[in-house]
Amino acid sequence: MFNPRPAQAEILCYTKGLMGISAVPGSGKTHTLSALAANLIINNPLEDDQEILIVTLVNSAVDNFATRISSFLTQNGLLPDLGYRVRTLHGLAHDIVRERPDLVGLSDRFTIVDEREANDILNSSTQAWLRGHPILHDTYFDADIPANRVSQAEKDWPEVMVNVARSIIRTAKDRQVTPDMLQRLLAEIADPHPLLVMGSDVYTSYQQALNYRSAVDFDDLIRMALAALNADPAYLDRLRYRWPFILEDEAQDSSRLQEEILRLLTGQQGNWVRVGDPNQAIYETFTTASPQYLMNFLKEEAVTPCSLPNSGRSTESIITLANHLVDWVREFHPHIELQEALTLPHIQPTPPDDPQPNPTDNPQAIFIDQGKPLDSEGEINWVIRSVARWLPDHQDSTVAILTPRNFRGAEVVEALKKANLPYVELLQSSLTTRQTAQLLAQILRLLADPGNPTLLANCLQAMLVRHEESSDQKLYAKTLAEQLKRCVRTEEFLYAQPGQDWLDTISPQQLPMDQRDELVKYREQIIRWQQASLLPVDQLVLTIAQDLFIQPSDLALTHKIALLLDHDAGIHPDWRLLEFSQQLEAIAHNERKLAGFTDEDSGFDPEAYKGKVVVATIHKAKGLEWDRVYLMSVNNYDFPSMEDYDTYISEKWYIRNQLNLEAEAVSRLMGIIQHDPFLITLPEGDATRAARIEYCAERLRLLYVGITRARRELCITWNTGRNGRCLPAIPLTALQSFWKERSNRGSSA
Amino acid sequence: VTTRLSISNSHNEPETTLSGSFYVHGPAGCGKTTLGVTRLLSLVQQGIRADSILILVPQRTLGLPYLNAARSPSFPPGGQPAVVTLGGLGQRLIDLFWPAISHPAGFKKPRQRPDFLTLETSQYYLSRLVRPLIDQGYFQSISIDRNRLLGQILDNLNKAAGTGIALTSLADRLKAAWVGKPDQLHIYDEAQECALKFREFCLENNLLDFSLQLEVFCHHLWPSFLCRQLLTSQYRHLIYDNVEEDVPVVHDVIREWLPHFESALLILDDNGGYRSFLGADAASAQEIANLCENKIHLTNSYIAPPAMQAFSEGLSNILLREWNQPVNPSARKVFRFTHHRFATQMIHSIAGEVKRLIDQENVPAGQIAILSPYLSDALRFSLMHELDLLGVTSRSHRPSRSLRDEPAAQCLLTWACLAHPQWEFPITTQDVRGAFMLSIDNLDLVRADLLAQIVFRPKRKPNYLGSFDTITAEMQERITFRVGQRYEKIRAWLEDYRSGKELPLDIFISRLFGEVLSQPGFGFHQAFDNAAVAARLIESIRKFRWATQTTLEHEKSPVGQEYIQMVSEGILAAQSLQPYEEQLDDAVLIAPAHTFLMTNRPVTVQFWMDIGSQGWWERLFQPLTHPIVLSRRWNPAEKWTDAHEYASNQQALARLTAGLIHRCSGKIYLCTTGLNENGDEQRGPLLKAVQTLLRRLPVEKAGDHV
Repeated sequence: MFNPRPAQAEILCYTKGLMGISAVPGSGKTHTLSALAANLIINNPLEDDQEILIVTLVNSAVDNFATRISSFLTQNGLLPDLGYRVRTLHGLAHDIVRERPDLVGLSDRFTIVDEREANDILNSSTQAWLRGHPILHDTYFDADIPANRVSQAEKDWPEVMVNVARSIIRTAKDRQVTPDMLQRLLAEIADPHPLLVMGSDVYTSYQQALNYRSAVDFDDLIRMALAALNADPAYLDRLRYRWPFILEDEAQDSSRLQEEILRLLTGQQGNWVRVGDPNQAIYETFTTASPQYLMNFLKEEAVTPCSLPNSGRSTESIITLANHLVDWVREFHPHIELQEALTLPHIQPTPPDDPQPNPTDNPQAIFIDQGKPLDSEGEINWVIRSVARWLPDHQDSTVAILTPRNFRGAEVVEALKKANLPYVELLQSSLTTRQTAQLLAQILRLLADPGNPTLLANCLQAMLVRHEESSDQKLYAKTLAEQLKRCVRTEEFLYAQPGQDWLDTISPQQLPMDQRDELVKYREQIIRWQQASLLPVDQLVLTIAQDLFIQPSDLALTHKIALLLDHDAGIHPDWRLLEFSQQLEAIAHNERKLAGFTDEDSGFDPEAYKGKVVVATIHKAKGLEWDRVYLMSVNNYDFPSMEDYDTYISEKWYIRNQLNLEAEAVSRLMGIIQHDPFLITLPEGDATRAARIEYCAERLRLLYVGITRARRELCITWNTGRNGRCLPAIPLTALQSFWKERSNRGSSA
Repeated sequence: VTTRLSISNSHNEPETTLSGSFYVHGPAGCGKTTLGVTRLLSLVQQGIRADSILILVPQRTLGLPYLNAARSPSFPPGGQPAVVTLGGLGQRLIDLFWPAISHPAGFKKPRQRPDFLTLETSQYYLSRLVRPLIDQGYFQSISIDRNRLLGQILDNLNKAAGTGIALTSLADRLKAAWVGKPDQLHIYDEAQECALKFREFCLENNLLDFSLQLEVFCHHLWPSFLCRQLLTSQYRHLIYDNVEEDVPVVHDVIREWLPHFESALLILDDNGGYRSFLGADAASAQEIANLCENKIHLTNSYIAPPAMQAFSEGLSNILLREWNQPVNPSARKVFRFTHHRFATQMIHSIAGEVKRLIDQENVPAGQIAILSPYLSDALRFSLMHELDLLGVTSRSHRPSRSLRDEPAAQCLLTWACLAHPQWEFPITTQDVRGAFMLSIDNLDLVRADLLAQIVFRPKRKPNYLGSFDTITAEMQERITFRVGQRYEKIRAWLEDYRSGKELPLDIFISRLFGEVLSQPGFGFHQAFDNAAVAARLIESIRKFRWATQTTLEHEKSPVGQEYIQMVSEGILAAQSLQPYEEQLDDAVLIAPAHTFLMTNRPVTVQFWMDIGSQGWWERLFQPLTHPIVLSRRWNPAEKWTDAHEYASNQQALARLTAGLIHRCSGKIYLCTTGLNENGDEQRGPLLKAVQTLLRRLPVEKAGDHV
């Protein structure tokens, strides 16, 4: 049973209208929001065709919400699955568009391209454009690039242009501007900015490529959902009726379109509860997401503001450190533009007798001074040594190493491997996608060449180890596969004539009963798939999937694969199973991340990995917590602070005047869309500076998020970077001094 | 001769001899068609010439009960009644009056005979006209496959002909109703341009698609004195069944014709209108029915017991949001609700229950129907496979299935390609392996593959297939001599064929099927579904040959080669031929719900699969046409909004479920899955309505949750 704290109980009294909740990390907002959803279902008898709509940020939170709400409903004697719907914004947009694709000109079989596919299309469109405009870089390259580095800059240039094109396309879509409209807008200007001309042309060919595939990308999905709601007021009315209450989690990362969609769905007299922590807004760069939407909402007259200030997650020391970061930023950050990056309220520890009290405090468990500066490798070695010392005595505790970027995480993983320490990756997890595609590819390959004993055996082995990582299971699978490889005449195993069953020729000593049963089961499955092999390939894949998979993410992935293969079959009527299996292998080997279908979707529970080191980016760690946390690379490259000596990822060394071309292009695009001459003629460099402020502010919040992942122990480290010139981030220095002073005070007291 | 018809309401028993016009209506299963058939028999028994009786139906197969009665031994000798659709009647008359009407109807070659097109051959000619336009960029903003695109352009032609709305005004009508993105509007103009081009092409080449047949009949034949004289003197008695499934211009003709009949019986299904997506108009049917002198309402169902009717009523009220209507508790007795998380579990459970019903409750297999909104190959395969494992015979019925996707059609066309190497179609080992698997009884994939790898030599044209006798003894043994013997028989037949004169493709397939593949030991012998596909394929090719022979001979393209090319491009689908033919074999029927309704055949037990699926509710995706906007009752100034969409879908669902329930005498199993094949949750409107119904019924064991 949920025993709410006073602040949580106040929120649970909500019955209707607009409410905005400012929540600190670890304040139990998911739990409170789930309890609120259940309360509303229990106390507001909805019609059978009505639901509470819960919108959250990432897929991993969807399952989490559903599980909690179901549990509350069951405790109250109701059916667990009815009366609510949990969706990410993309999931919600998909629901809206899927129900009336005709309103936005889509077919009923439209597909969503994943990031990889979208990038492939964007890359090829941009490269094609650059081939026709080979001297564009002359306009932007620094005149002083050393001669021996020019070719490197030229090699790097297309990637910069792809990023510029991507930002232009995303912004245009966010503003509901189609390729045609953008071309027309540019035609109205005497001398359009060269990057906008490039972006506009690439946008046109990119969108044509999507149309050809009958596909949309994620940005399309959102803008089309909004277009569908605006196109037909009657449809909007129907959805308003269906979702009389909207609960929005992680509202600090709400984007302009998300806010617009939810505002439309809520209507004038509607019921909308938004929960978020502006200090955890870490998805803003080059998106239209902004914590400002939540902050503005909280100030609206009709909105009841509430807060969840208590957190039982961390020790008081860790809470103090996080609160000090907020205070320091707001009062002492050397750059006034960044003083609003973090906001009040402070995190408050739980009141006495709280059901989930803070862990026992231990100020010694905070470490933010590694002593001498360390280079990149040195920092990793330091962290690995530290965790290796700690781990043996803490097999029942959780630990994570958090890095600001993926590649750094990958380096940590390599080092953990070398040190032979147990670890779990939570980086760009596409392992399931690869495995699923690989397994399906293997099965199709077997169906293409059904008499091949090696393929038959390999397939068995792959199926047996799919969910089992244990070495015992691997050995068992290998043994069984080796056994099966010996069956040269596969028909005598699969379709034996009377008295010729291959299994009967093997003695029980060679093949124990359990293994024999396993082979019999496998045989039945293969026979069934072989019988299905005459079906169209998409249907064959779905048939196989029904037998193999039970996880929604696997089923969804297979469905997507089936649609891809069906599309291929339409384009290549001459393709047969072999070609389709090769196509699947390409997906598997490309490590293609089919969007929405990654490990993160099923939710990640740190508690399941006690005694192992979890490696993740700080972004991926959001919403999670560990007993001990290492925060790495807190230097002025990954956490810059607007100092003159800071460098920025988006500013390339070979571009003149340290211009951030994405920012420059997007600001001019906004000027054109909004018919704002000020923005169109903004002096070069102003947009770059504005982007720096935005980026630095977000990195401060990222640091805050990183610190608040720790329950009991926290280590923060930094490195001097590739060129050895990086310094500790300014906020880190401030925290170090604060902590040192506090410790000194404590010891002297 | 004057006949009279009297009907006892209590028993639905017809008595003879009532004169004048009658309008009989009632729900499905109350004996309306039986009454029509009895009426036919009593008329003939009273000495009325059978050939003076016109039996009009909106679709050929709905006339089957009348045809069966007329062909039965007890039917008095002499003439036969005309059991026709108005289109069919039109065809006969166009042929007859061609010299008189061809010129005024606008045909450019009035001295040459007309050619009647089927849906497929219409699509074929249309595709030739549309292809260059698509290359120019037409229809680029929508994504739809070629077959559906052509089908919808023809649909617009048919709807214009069926409603009398001018072909040139369709685009404006569709545009005026559109509320979506304005940049889609041009596709309606493009569709109209294609339709007009096709019409022009037909007029130039004496080709009559369905729309032109209907228009020529209504505008040139029916108004002509000679033709009308012929019809009114030939046919003195009318039985018009399923009036509500016909298009309004046919109702117009009947409205004028009605006074000329000595007797007329018009039969309407109260819950009908299932063909409204094809232009059927229940409202105009009602208008002509109201002209009848006598009205009879049948209420007692021969099929559905009162509890079933209560279930139907309860569900309909909920779907139509008449929530204050009480639900009769007896409804609970006739359905059972089962929930499974995954489709595989649902399939397994349905198969087990079917087996139990047959074994323990003695329900004949033919009295069980498993229905779903769509029947994908994966679902069909899994279900049939599961039933097969339990020893239950099943058959499936999917008229809208494209031939290209039918393994049996692919098999036959592969044999055709092997027999006609001069056509130079690429053949793969996998195609040959598939043909072996389906053609030789009980041949497994491994042996079929071995055989294909050894005997098929794609480069050894024209003798692609080697002899079984020449392969190694070891391989012969592995493949088995039984298989080898059958393979040799097919090979010998093909060699024999190739040594003779080339036959038209349909005749080639007919012979191969009849002389070899349907014989004992071969794959089509007991495979009813495959045999049905073969029959569809043969009919499709034959009609294609009739309609295109002249053109293709002129272009020096072999008809068979062109046909296979069109099938592989997905343009010819053979999907609308023999659509709802009645099959009485004792096998469990697996079909889309809508198809089952159109077979008009009651059963004892129904399984409704996936009731959470949105497919039970949503309309077909038709971006180029619209069944309601292109109907007479639509106000052209109005916008088609979601409120219309919602109301129309709810009504269609209420009609569909009522139609299904009235065709069930025993029990309905309502089956759901938590996740569909896509991994999405299933919470469609039918599931929600069932949930509301369950909540309104007295608490019993609510269902089985697995």
